[in-house]
Amino acid sequence: MKRVNLPAAPVGVALLALPLGVALLGPWFAGPARPGVFAPYAGSGGPHLLGTDGLGRDVLDLLLHGGRSALGMALGAVAVAYLVGGAVGLLAASARRRWADELLIRPLDVLLPLPTLLVISVVAVGWRGSPVAIALAVAAVNVPPVARLVRAAALDAASGPVTEALRVQGESRSRIQLDHVARSVLSPVAADIGTRITLAVFLVGSANFLGLGLDPTAPDWAVSISRSREALLLQPWAVLAPAAMLVMFTVGLNLLADSLLARTRRTQEAVR
Amino acid sequence: MRGYALQRLALGAVQLALLTVLVFLLTSLLPGDAADVRNNEDATPEQVAALREQLRLDRPALERFTDWAQGVLTGDLGTSLVSGGPVLDILAESAGITLVLAAVTLVVVVPLAVLLGIVSGLREGGRLDRSVTSVTLALNAVPDFVLALLLVAGLSLQLGWLPATWVGVGAADLLGQPALLVLPVGVVAARMICLLSRQVRAGMVTVLKAEYVTQARRLGVPRRTLLLRHVLPNAAVPGIQELARVGDNLVGGVLIVEAVFAIPGVATALVRAVEARDVPTVQGLALVVAAAALLFSLAADLVCHRLVPRTEVLR
Repeated sequence: MKRVNLPAAPVGVALLALPLGVALLGPWFAGPARPGVFAPYAGSGGPHLLGTDGLGRDVLDLLLHGGRSALGMALGAVAVAYLVGGAVGLLAASARRRWADELLIRPLDVLLPLPTLLVISVVAVGWRGSPVAIALAVAAVNVPPVARLVRAAALDAASGPVTEALRVQGESRSRIQLDHVARSVLSPVAADIGTRITLAVFLVGSANFLGLGLDPTAPDWAVSISRSREALLLQPWAVLAPAAMLVMFTVGLNLLADSLLARTRRTQEAVR
Repeated sequence: MRGYALQRLALGAVQLALLTVLVFLLTSLLPGDAADVRNNEDATPEQVAALREQLRLDRPALERFTDWAQGVLTGDLGTSLVSGGPVLDILAESAGITLVLAAVTLVVVVPLAVLLGIVSGLREGGRLDRSVTSVTLALNAVPDFVLALLLVAGLSLQLGWLPATWVGVGAADLLGQPALLVLPVGVVAARMICLLSRQVRAGMVTVLKAEYVTQARRLGVPRRTLLLRHVLPNAAVPGIQELARVGDNLVGGVLIVEAVFAIPGVATALVRAVEARDVPTVQGLALVVAAAALLFSLAADLVCHRLVPRTEVLR
């Protein structure tokens, strides 16, 4: 079968680079995006490359400022989810007693079918406008699936021949757990992390879009999309530019994750 | 079968009980309570205190919880702080539209996702499979709210084919104007179809490679019988398991879509209540929506068990 393959990994990296670069470095190059400085809805070109939004803020400045919260909250949430969920999963998998495993993992299972955006809206009643609270809520809804994934992968590794060989050699329990089991969990985690970050970006974006997250005048990408959506035809860049950033980030991330996944699968098949 | 169903029902009941506690905990731990909010800046501390007493917010949390839980059990979700009417009224006004939206979405999603999954899974790596896979991957990377806005800009504002908002539309007009439903349902369905069809496709690919399928082929079982009787029930399992989980996407999508199209449904009422910090309304609506999601995953699990019996309730 002949197949023309786009080099997914380089394309993915290229797509990721722009939004990540804007998020990391943007604020240093941007002017202050204060409301009321310029006329509202100025066209693109001229002094404002992408025009101004309804509050008279330069769209390009907004764009450069808005990446930190849009991507930072999501990345932070995923990091916390992996720290907590990973610890719970590894602990549950290495528990010597079955009841300890159950005690750790069952309560999370019970909470698994909760709608995520609903959890965020309940949290938002009291902590609206607080990026930390929203990020923690996003992290919390991601803990159960992460814990389960890590536990399954660790159990898989712990029952394999390598662990048995290590045990026969008389290696200590902690050494086996940390050196072998924790390391063999890394590959399923790498496979999962791309989709998890994408979902977190969507979730944070949705919360901000709905007005459950940051302040409605924040320069955040999703907040900008929500603010300027009434003027979609009048000033399309105010919506399209941040939307393009979000889409580039998720498409790039998915492409990269898929190619990494394909590579690990190929090595696994080669080993077999 | 009966044992599994009973266990699964028990689990559902436990989930629901935990859920009520969780909703209450999250909303009662709030920094600043409803009395603060309702009075804004120009109320004197005495007025706030009086209101707090009137709303009975000064009692211990446990007492408030038992009161609220008792109310919920008897079908009383409390009183809205904003409208002063029962939360149940708000729910009754908005639930119909949301239910129609969710039901129509599911009716569109399930057959379409199964069909796409089957045709692309039948020829793994074929031209159709590759194009379906790339389209679903690309669609999957576009957030709901961006997709909704792009569709509104293109199809409603530029071309004028479909209505852009539901402003001024009542529940009664809904069935008379199916055009209203096209865009909202399309947006919610898009991501669900992507997720589901991928699972069905993966199930098809695995099952088609199974030895019993090869054997059945060798025995001369007709292709159609083989596909419908032997392949599909097993191939559908990952899809239905996924269906139990896309309830999340359904709720999330409905929240977004109701906001974009100004649909006066439950999600709009919920977001509005969050903005006004109308705690009893948020509690009531969140509980009902979450209970619906639990029910949905319960139903999917039971269907899944009917197709391929498992003994464990929790995977």
